[in-house]
Amino acid sequence: MTTYTICVFTENTIGLLNKITILFTRRRINIESLTVSETERKGVSRFTIVIRQDSRETVEKLVRQIRKVVEVLAVFGYLNEDIAYNEIALFKVATPSGAKPLDIETVNKVYKAWVVYWHLDYVVIEKTGTEEEIFDFFNYIKPHGILEFVRSGRVAVSKSSQSLVEYLPEAEWEYYL
Amino acid sequence: MEYKENQAVTAEVEEQQAKVEAPELMNGSHALIRSLIAEGVDTIFGYPGGAIMPVYDAIYDYQDQVNHILVRHEQGAGHAAEGFARISGRVGVCLVTSGPGATNLVTAIADAIIDSTPLVCVIGQVAKHLLGTDAFQETDVIGVTMPITKWNYQITSADEIPEVMAKAFYIAKSGRPGPVLIDITKNAQQEMMTKAFNYSCCEKLLSYHPRLTPKREQVEKAAKLINEAKRPFLLFGHGVKISGAEKELMELVEKAGIPCASTLLGLSSVPVDHPLYAGWLGMHGNYGTNVLTNQCDVMIGIGLRFDDRVTGDVSRYAKQAKIIHIEIDPSEIDKVVKAEAPVVGDAKQVLQMLLPMIKPNDHSMWRNEFRKYEVLEDEKITQRELAPTTEKIKMAEVIRMLSDKTKGEAVVVADVGQHQMMTARYYQFKKNNSFITSGGLGTMGYALPAAFGAKVGAPEREVVAIIGDGCFQMTIQELGTIAQSGLPVKAIILNNNYLGMVRQWQQLFFQKRYSFVELQNPDFITIAKGFGVDGHTCEQRADLNESLDRLLQSDKPYLLEVIVEKEENVFPMVPTGASVADIRLE
Repeated sequence: MTTYTICVFTENTIGLLNKITILFTRRRINIESLTVSETERKGVSRFTIVIRQDSRETVEKLVRQIRKVVEVLAVFGYLNEDIAYNEIALFKVATPSGAKPLDIETVNKVYKAWVVYWHLDYVVIEKTGTEEEIFDFFNYIKPHGILEFVRSGRVAVSKSSQSLVEYLPEAEWEYYL
Repeated sequence: MEYKENQAVTAEVEEQQAKVEAPELMNGSHALIRSLIAEGVDTIFGYPGGAIMPVYDAIYDYQDQVNHILVRHEQGAGHAAEGFARISGRVGVCLVTSGPGATNLVTAIADAIIDSTPLVCVIGQVAKHLLGTDAFQETDVIGVTMPITKWNYQITSADEIPEVMAKAFYIAKSGRPGPVLIDITKNAQQEMMTKAFNYSCCEKLLSYHPRLTPKREQVEKAAKLINEAKRPFLLFGHGVKISGAEKELMELVEKAGIPCASTLLGLSSVPVDHPLYAGWLGMHGNYGTNVLTNQCDVMIGIGLRFDDRVTGDVSRYAKQAKIIHIEIDPSEIDKVVKAEAPVVGDAKQVLQMLLPMIKPNDHSMWRNEFRKYEVLEDEKITQRELAPTTEKIKMAEVIRMLSDKTKGEAVVVADVGQHQMMTARYYQFKKNNSFITSGGLGTMGYALPAAFGAKVGAPEREVVAIIGDGCFQMTIQELGTIAQSGLPVKAIILNNNYLGMVRQWQQLFFQKRYSFVELQNPDFITIAKGFGVDGHTCEQRADLNESLDRLLQSDKPYLLEVIVEKEENVFPMVPTGASVADIRLE
């Protein structure tokens, strides 16, 4: 299985998320993570969708189908090496009196994670990184007792010095277009 | 005196200025109808109901400009609009109510998207404040139709109407055409617009840029392949008709001497008696066109999507050939077959650019190979079908006689099943834009309403529907619409008392286990007469000639029922999963 990150730029209108995701459903492609937010340009949304697929051809066809949606402005497909990407995770870690104290220095310096909220009985730690880095930290902090854990979808930008690089035969695609 | 006059003049001027400045305010329903009129719409197929009543109230005032046709079921409205759109090249318009009105239209919308038919479907919806409350006749139509529309949108305020309708028409008809659904809440129909009604047609959108003009280098690459080809084979589909590229197609075929073949929806784009026309493709297509698909060296596909009914087993489809795929929808490129030379663009524009690059050629040896297969097919199948020794009439002879009587120039609307395949095989199309059928979705019940819509769209042409006894009962109620209109739509039922195509498959692939395919049919002619449509039944071969004359000579709607052979099969046939080269003659 190869991980693909699909970036979709669309107009920001009601129901568009649905119009995009039904294309995945129809082709029985599971969405591993999904992040949608407005871009620096008003009225333009950016979807970052992570999928795992064996067949690159399936992904290419999917990208073309997404491009067919009327409100879609552009679609790009990437392999992991083509992008800088991250996720953010929040850990609510128990700190009852008498328990082993948190080693904040290790949390900060080794794991590059930060306490963003203090409570008498717990702290909330924010960790940004790749899926692997987040789960490394998860394993480190687990013995303290994780009360809640949440992880965002991936956000990614292309590594190209151009504004956007296409990995999937998007270059070729542009060529047909 | 002078002063008074001046005062009067000033008052008059002021009054006129006020008239100019005061915006012409209207409610949403009027704005909707005015938008349709601004788009040149003169025909609407519809059915009223609660959530669309304000619009129906407005139509009442515009009857001199818009011909609203009351169907008997919303599915009928959808197929009639499709028939209208396919024959006229214009956008078909449907107007129905919320909930069941909308869901009844769903089959036609699904049919239109897969057969690239431009529709604008305006659907009533409950008032905005009731959305999401399970209000009476509320259905999430936007959600339901999302996968089967080219675009859909919910209007919730009157002010949005002109702009959204302009966008709807632009999207429906541009690029690869398709159905657009506009869901309009009742409050938006009723409330007054806050600004003057001002309609300007949409010509461009921020997103969505259909590519019409091809890239020159792509066309050059295609031209090179065609010029170097030894055994070129050209396949054309619906795209040629939609783009109106029949003339250019013919020029290409003649200049380069390329044998050409049609998909189901491409039929009638090249006259069947043209020396370079090799026949029809696919599951029940011709023998030579299928077998030689796997022997050509360059395949030129124009405006088709390589449907599985055309390709058979894709892994054994034209593997030896370099494929040129000329297509307006980029997502079709490489979807089924890998194209060596894809050309994205409108068929007509591509062909216009391509033609000067093509070197004249003949390919007579290669062309003759098609003739060899034709002779074989003629002996094994066609002659037997057209001059049968059976007691009962066969479908093929009915179609061929109709073809002869109409000189191959009628608009033929076929329903779905054996009679559809027989129509495609035996009607000899001589005139462009003459065949309408549900190709992609295979919607039984399509033909009667679609033939009616086609007659509305082209009243000057003879329109004949070919319908099976199963199909006819799916939209039989549209006889009422036809009778009320008085339009001379002609329908032929080929009655074998079976769901014939399913029975054929059960015979061939399910050991003759005829599971629920035999029909106890009603007396179709009595039913038609009940609707006010005249007709008669033909059971004897000797009566067929006169029966068809009566059908064609009637200046009113007419139904001819022909009792045909109960268990006949459509051949040739490429069984599912087989290669086109393994086409069976029996």
